[in-house]
Amino acid sequence: MKNRLPALRADRGMTQADLADRLNVSRQTVNAIETGRYDPSLPLAFAIAKLFKLPIEEIFEP
Amino acid sequence: MAQADVAPVKYAGRSYLIEMAVAALVYAGAAWARHWLIAQAPSHEWAIAASLVPALPVWAMFLVVWRYYRRIDEFEKQRFLETLAISFGIGSCLVCTYAFLADAGVPEIAITWAWPTLAVSWAITGAIMHLARR
Repeated sequence: MKNRLPALRADRGMTQADLADRLNVSRQTVNAIETGRYDPSLPLAFAIAKLFKLPIEEIFEP
Repeated sequence: MAQADVAPVKYAGRSYLIEMAVAALVYAGAAWARHWLIAQAPSHEWAIAASLVPALPVWAMFLVVWRYYRRIDEFEKQRFLETLAISFGIGSCLVCTYAFLADAGVPEIAITWAWPTLAVSWAITGAIMHLARR
């Protein structure tokens, strides 16, 4: 699943570690989501959307 | 549920290593002392109780692993379970294969080696899969 996470994160000046801390996941998990190796669960996707104040569909696309 | 209301995931690995090191040290001491403990037992019942002393840290190790599993995030849980499933398969096959070899006269090994075999299989599988995923 494609996503805009790297761009959104960069816009806010966040590192992968920063984002991982905010979501309470590991940096490896953030990296895996960003590179498309892992599709987050709905709760985690909602948490990401809430953090960036965007609808899920503006962050992730099939 | 995003894990904002639980202990930080980033400390899970460090906590696991500390807790497992303590449990492993206790196990090593108990395994080393078990024959002496059994020899000192005043009765058969006490000998049975003494023989179970090394099992306590083994159960503690299981709890340490369970606590680690509960602390990590969903992606790490997925990888954890994948590694565990593969290593359990490999370890079980190793134990089974050696059991058949024993039929042909290969020296039998105490069943206490089954658990270390599974543990080593898990560690090696984990290391290989970690390298493969990089």
